[in-house]
Amino acid sequence: MTQLESAVDRPEVSAPEPWSFPEAHRAGLANGLGVVSYDIPGQYVISVRLAVPMPLDREPREQEGIATIMARTLDEGTARHTAEEFAELLERKGIALGAGVSESGLIVDLDVAKGHLREALDLLSQAVREPAFPANEVSRHVKTRLAEIDQERAQPGQRAALEFISTYFDAAERASRPSAGTRSTVSTITPQDLAAFHIANVLPTGATVAVAGDLSDLDVVAEVERALGSWSGAAAEVVEPREAARAADAARIVFLDRPDSVQTEFYIGCPGPDRRVEGGWAAYQVLGFAVGGSPNARVDAVLREDKGFTYGIRSGFRPRRLGGVFLTSGSVRADSTVEALRLLLEILDKAREGFTEEETQAGVDFIGKTAPGRYATADTVADEAAGLSLEDLTTEFTTANLHGLADVNAEALAEAYGRYVTGEWTVVIVGDASLYAEGVRGLGRGEVAILPT
Amino acid sequence: MPLDYQIAERALANGLRVIVSEDHSVPIVTVNLWVNVGSRHEVEGRTGFAHLFEHLMFQGSRNVASGEHFSALMAAGGRLNATTWFDRTNYFETVPRGAMDLALWMEADRHGHLLDAVNQQNLDNQRDVVKEEKRQRYDNMPYGNALIDIYAAIFPKDHPYHHATIGSMEDLDAASVQDVHEFFRRYYGPNNTVLTLVGDLTPDEGFASAERYFGSLPATADASRGPVEPLAPLSEPQRDEHIEDVPSDRLHVAFRLPVDDTPEFFAASLAMDIIGGLATSRLYQRLVRREQIANSVSAIAMGFVDGVSLGFLGIDVADGCSADAVEAAACEELVRFAAEGPNEIEMESAMAQTERGWLSSLASQEERADHICHHATLQGDSGYINTFLDRLGEVAAAQVQQVAARWLMPESRAVVAYLKQDGDTQ
Repeated sequence: MTQLESAVDRPEVSAPEPWSFPEAHRAGLANGLGVVSYDIPGQYVISVRLAVPMPLDREPREQEGIATIMARTLDEGTARHTAEEFAELLERKGIALGAGVSESGLIVDLDVAKGHLREALDLLSQAVREPAFPANEVSRHVKTRLAEIDQERAQPGQRAALEFISTYFDAAERASRPSAGTRSTVSTITPQDLAAFHIANVLPTGATVAVAGDLSDLDVVAEVERALGSWSGAAAEVVEPREAARAADAARIVFLDRPDSVQTEFYIGCPGPDRRVEGGWAAYQVLGFAVGGSPNARVDAVLREDKGFTYGIRSGFRPRRLGGVFLTSGSVRADSTVEALRLLLEILDKAREGFTEEETQAGVDFIGKTAPGRYATADTVADEAAGLSLEDLTTEFTTANLHGLADVNAEALAEAYGRYVTGEWTVVIVGDASLYAEGVRGLGRGEVAILPT
Repeated sequence: MPLDYQIAERALANGLRVIVSEDHSVPIVTVNLWVNVGSRHEVEGRTGFAHLFEHLMFQGSRNVASGEHFSALMAAGGRLNATTWFDRTNYFETVPRGAMDLALWMEADRHGHLLDAVNQQNLDNQRDVVKEEKRQRYDNMPYGNALIDIYAAIFPKDHPYHHATIGSMEDLDAASVQDVHEFFRRYYGPNNTVLTLVGDLTPDEGFASAERYFGSLPATADASRGPVEPLAPLSEPQRDEHIEDVPSDRLHVAFRLPVDDTPEFFAASLAMDIIGGLATSRLYQRLVRREQIANSVSAIAMGFVDGVSLGFLGIDVADGCSADAVEAAACEELVRFAAEGPNEIEMESAMAQTERGWLSSLASQEERADHICHHATLQGDSGYINTFLDRLGEVAAAQVQQVAARWLMPESRAVVAYLKQDGDTQ
C-alpha cells in the first residue's frame, strides 16, 4: 500500500444521472381545500404543511402582528382541550406542530412519524378550526412578542433588517413595518380580536395541504378528508395582489448608531423581480450565486478571501408575491466599515458590466445539480409546495425553473441584472457612527442620516 | 422500532476506516470525514487552533489551488462545509454521484498534502476571517459570550472543555505557520480519520474509491490519547454574573453530565427534556405557562467523550420579574424531579419526541453520514444509527430519576446570568 504520493490523476466529473422533482398527486376536497402529496420512499417522518392564503395587509393597521399572535396561539387551547392538555397530546405521539405567517399567508407545519399521522392530522384540524384563544395564553404571547421586539432591536442583524424595510418601502405599505407587529400594535390584541380575525381568514377555500414522505399503504386524500373534510367557512374576499411600492426617497444611506460595536452590519438593497419575471427566475438564482452565494463569489472573493474583513457576506434576489428585493447583507470588522462599504457598492455596481461564461456556468451547475439533494427530504418538498401555493404556483414551477437554467448564459445574466440593478441603493448600516459616519459620507454615495438604535 | 440502514465497514492498511451506507433513493453521494481532533486537544496559549486549522484546509493543498475546494465542488453540484467542535473536526460534501471521485481526490489531497500550500499569507487571511466569525457570533451579540462563560464556569481550568472551540483573540494572534505544520503532522492522517460515504453507491464501489484516493497516504498521525479522568458533578454551586446592555435578564443553569453513549447519558438527556426541553416540561409548565415569570425555557444535553458531558437550561426572565425568584423556582423543580422521578406520560413524551427528532435527522443523507462518522470515530460504533432508539427505549424511569438525583441537583449547578443594566431585579 506504499505507492508514491499523488499517484492518482485528478478524476473527471461525469454527467449527473437523470433526476426529477418528486411527482405531485393532486386532489381537491368539496370544501375547496386542495391536497397535494409526494410519495418519497424511505422518508419515515411525514411532513404536512397547511398553507392558507392570508395576505398580511388584511391585518387592521392598529393591530398589526395579529396574524402572528394568532399563528402562535392556535394550539394554546382549543374547544376540546386546554393548552396544557393539547401540548401533552402532541408530545406523547412525538408530533411537532407549529405555525407562522409570511407576506402571503399562514403556514401550519406538522411533522410526525408515519404511524401517528392520523392522530396528528386530527390535532392539526382542532388547532386550525377550533382554537379557543384563552385570555391567559393570549396575554402571555403578547408579552412574549413584546420581549421579542426588544431582542430584535438589540441584535445588529435584525436591527438592520427592520430599518431596511422601513427605509426601503413606502411608509403606506404593510411591507415597511415588522410582519409580527410593533409594541403599540401588538399591545392592543385581545382574544376577541383573535377569534374574529381567525373566523374571517382561516378558511379552507383556496388553502392547500401538502403531504410528503413515505406514503406507501396510506390513502392521503382519505386521511386529509377525515381530518379536514368537514371544515367550512365563508370564502374570504379575494383581492388581487399588488406590488409594494418603494419609498420615493429609498435610495439613501441610514446609519444606525450602535456605540462600541466591534463589527458593522450592512443591509444593501434595490428592487428585484418575483418568480414570474419575464425571461425566467432561474437567471436571478444564478446571479445571487455569482455575486454573493459562496466564498468564491464576487463579494467574498474580495471582502473575505482577499481582505479578511468578514466571516461572510451574502447577496441574493428575494422574491415577494409581486416584485422583490435584491439584498446584500452581512457584517465586517468595525475599522473596515468605510472601505468595506466602498468595495461592496463597487462590486455590486460593476456587476452591471457582465459576468464571465465560467461564472455563469458555475452558477447554473450549482443551482441545477444541487437540486436532487436539496429536495431529497420530506420536509423540503412539503415546504416548497406549501410556499409556492401561497403564490398560486405549484411545484411544476420548480421543475420548469430548473429546466429554465438551460437558457441562462452570460448575456442573459447581464441583461437580467441590468434590468433591476440601476445603482440606486438603499443602504442601512448598524455600527459606531461616531467613528465611521464621516468616512461613509466621504464616499460620496449620498446623504447619510444618523439615527439612534 | 428497529432501523435497518445498510452499513458496511472496512479499514484500509493505513488505518483509514471506511464506512459505506448504500441508498439509491437520489443520485447523490455524501462524503463525510471525521478527524479525531478538536478543541479538547488544544494546549494553553493556542486555543481556537483546531478551528483555525480547519479554515486552512480550504486554502489549497498540493494539487488544489486556494479556494478551489469550494469552487470546483460547488460547480459540480456540491454542497459542502466543515465544522470544528470540542471533540472532533469534520469535513463534508454532498455531490452528484459522478463527482464523488473528484470529491474524494480533493479530500485525499488536503488530508494528505496540505502543508505544501500553507503559507503566512493564507494563515493571516484566515486568522482575520476567524476573528470576524468570533466577533459576529459572540462579541457583537447580546448574550453572545454565554456559552464561553458556561464552559469556563462548569469545567475546571485546564480541563479539555474549559475553553470554547472559537478560542481567544490573543491565542489566534499567536498561531504560527510552524504550529500549523506540527498540528497537521500530529493529528491529521488516515489512522486518525473515519470516512463515511452515504448514497448512490455500493459498498464495493465505496471501498475501491477510498483505496484509490486514500490508500497511498501514510499512517502519519500520532496515536490518539485516551479520555481524561471522569469528572463528578460540581460539589457546590458556581455563579458567573454579568450586568450588561442586554434587553432582558437571561439565566443559564448548567450541569456536568455523564459521558456520551452510555445509558446514564441517555437518561440524563431524557431528564433534561422532561425538566426543560418539552413544551410540557416541568419548567415550561410552571415558569412560562402558569406563573408567567419567564418568556421561554430551553434545555440541551451535549454528549462529550472526555470524561464528562454538559447540560444546560436557558431561561428568559419575563419583564418585571425577578431573576432570583425564577432561579429559586427552577431549583425547587430540580429537587422535586430528583425526588419524584418522571411519570409515565413524561417518559412517553420525551421518548416520542426524541424518536421523531432522530428519524427526521436520519431522513437527510447528510445528517445520516454525520451520525455514522460521529459514533464510528468517537465510540467505535458504526452501527449506532440503527441501535440508538432501542438503547434509549431501555432506559427506565428509575434510571432517569437516579441520574437526576446525582447530576441535576441545585448544588451541582453553575449559573451564568446576564442581567440588564438598571434592571428591576437588583
